[in-house]
Amino acid sequence: MNAETRARLFGYEHAFDHPVTVAIALTVAIALLLAPLIILLLVRLGRVGPAQRTELMQRYRSWLVLIPAMGVPILLGAAWTILGIGILSILCYREYARATGLFREKFISLLVVVGIFAVTFAVADHWYGFFVALFPLSVGLIVALATLADRPQGYIQRVALGVLGFVLFGSALGHLGYMANDTDYRPIMMLFLLAVEANDVFAYITGKTFGRRKLAPHTSPNKTIGGALGALVLTTALVLVLGHYVFAGPPERQGAMREPLVLLGLGVIISVVGQLGDLVLSSIKRDLGLKDMGATIPGHGGLLDRFDSLILAAPAVFHYVGYVRQIGFGLDQPARIFSGG
Amino acid sequence: MMQPWKLEPARDLGMPLGERLRSLRRECGLIETAAHLCWGALTRTYFALAHRLTVRGQEHLPAAAPFILAANHASHLDALVLASVLPWRLRDRIFPVAAGDTFFQTPLLAAFAAGVLNALPMWRRNCGPHALLQLRQRLVEEPCAYILFPEGTRSRDGKIGRFKCGLGMLAAEANVPVVPCHLDGTFAALPPHSWLPRWRKITLTIGEPLCFATTPNERDGWEEIAQTVEGSIRRLGGVELREGFPSQS
Repeated sequence: MNAETRARLFGYEHAFDHPVTVAIALTVAIALLLAPLIILLLVRLGRVGPAQRTELMQRYRSWLVLIPAMGVPILLGAAWTILGIGILSILCYREYARATGLFREKFISLLVVVGIFAVTFAVADHWYGFFVALFPLSVGLIVALATLADRPQGYIQRVALGVLGFVLFGSALGHLGYMANDTDYRPIMMLFLLAVEANDVFAYITGKTFGRRKLAPHTSPNKTIGGALGALVLTTALVLVLGHYVFAGPPERQGAMREPLVLLGLGVIISVVGQLGDLVLSSIKRDLGLKDMGATIPGHGGLLDRFDSLILAAPAVFHYVGYVRQIGFGLDQPARIFSGG
Repeated sequence: MMQPWKLEPARDLGMPLGERLRSLRRECGLIETAAHLCWGALTRTYFALAHRLTVRGQEHLPAAAPFILAANHASHLDALVLASVLPWRLRDRIFPVAAGDTFFQTPLLAAFAAGVLNALPMWRRNCGPHALLQLRQRLVEEPCAYILFPEGTRSRDGKIGRFKCGLGMLAAEANVPVVPCHLDGTFAALPPHSWLPRWRKITLTIGEPLCFATTPNERDGWEEIAQTVEGSIRRLGGVELREGFPSQS
């Protein structure tokens, strides 16, 4: 492991090297400080009732835990970021397995969990070949080894649920971790997380203000077309502005990433795919007849109720940026750090 | 149109941890399964080495759940012995029914009882028929293997006490075999007033399963079941029947 890799993995002293990291961290910290005052002000003005107030405060307290839980590992180093996303993947899978009943199939569940561990190792190792190979290999392993139970009744359901679980929480979410193999992963990941979470908030606020027609009333009765379009406009604008600073650097590294049209594409992808991820989880919940996936986060429901929009957006953004950018994600960095290649 | 899938969320979905540990609807995940398997291996080895555990009548154990193991109770080792002789594939389905006020009072003990022993709590003070109904339903639905001590508490002198009706409320009018088990030596190995086990031999005698599908599910029936099982366990141990106890042929 060379000095540059060690600095990326564990170099907390580089936490605030990039101006965008500083800007986002400061903005979010100030927003967290101001939020209770704004809620208080809205209560004083009579715009918010007591029931809504408790709900808002509960959500705020959850954010007070969630934001440091996401932000601190990113600032500390890539190793902690990858570890954190590995844990997030396992916890999300656990919620999914308990909600769908797949957890009763202990053997398939074990295969999915082993798959997620392997993905986390491939990410930490910066071994892209293995990371890519794990998709067909894990799916194949689940499908093949499930036959050994010699219990064909319900085979398709068991296997399909296991494969969907691995695809969403192992493979797709693993792409978020893989971004940490880039030298400048801090501003990129912060932009991504900020944009995805802001996308949810924008959709909520513009939906409340302009929303008339329902987007998908059978799947998620609270979403409106107005909210979806509002989020699309605002999130794209946010990405357009911040992306200009995040991807600062010579074209032989960043490619055409700073072109306004390219950044526009990035914003549209984050907003649209993020909202689709939301709808995916809503569909799963509707199919199961559940309101929330769990009770992990007060005010939000389960972890998946909060992180649903990340899951599909992560691979979309990873491959979009990887395609445009000369250095992809860490292509200029030494690969196979631990396994040696 | 495709066949709809049967998707059943965990019965304890969305419960806070403390409540989940104490819930009769608790369902275990991968970590608990691993803990059960490790604990099973550990107790098997321990009983074989430290107590030279001998099992008689192993062939009487039903091949598949649901069933109830009912035994005399004189020691904390009892449930561990009974769970250790059951086959590996049943490991997650074995639920010792344990006193809530002893095993589920403090969070740490509750985590051990639920996570490692897979025990289900029975609150002795206010155990309503509702809790028993829940146990009864789960027994057949899942299906499970319960380990039950119908005396309701550990014998303080090593002698078998009177069996209570709770067992009857689970088994009456149900197609669930009740397997009478007699434990000998656990009192000498770890009596209720002691905390450190002694190297004493333990013998487990498993009797022929009894079925109470036709016994009415009411007080008379429950008492009949309690007496039948008590008599059967006493005979297994070669213990004399209590005075005034209806003899059975």
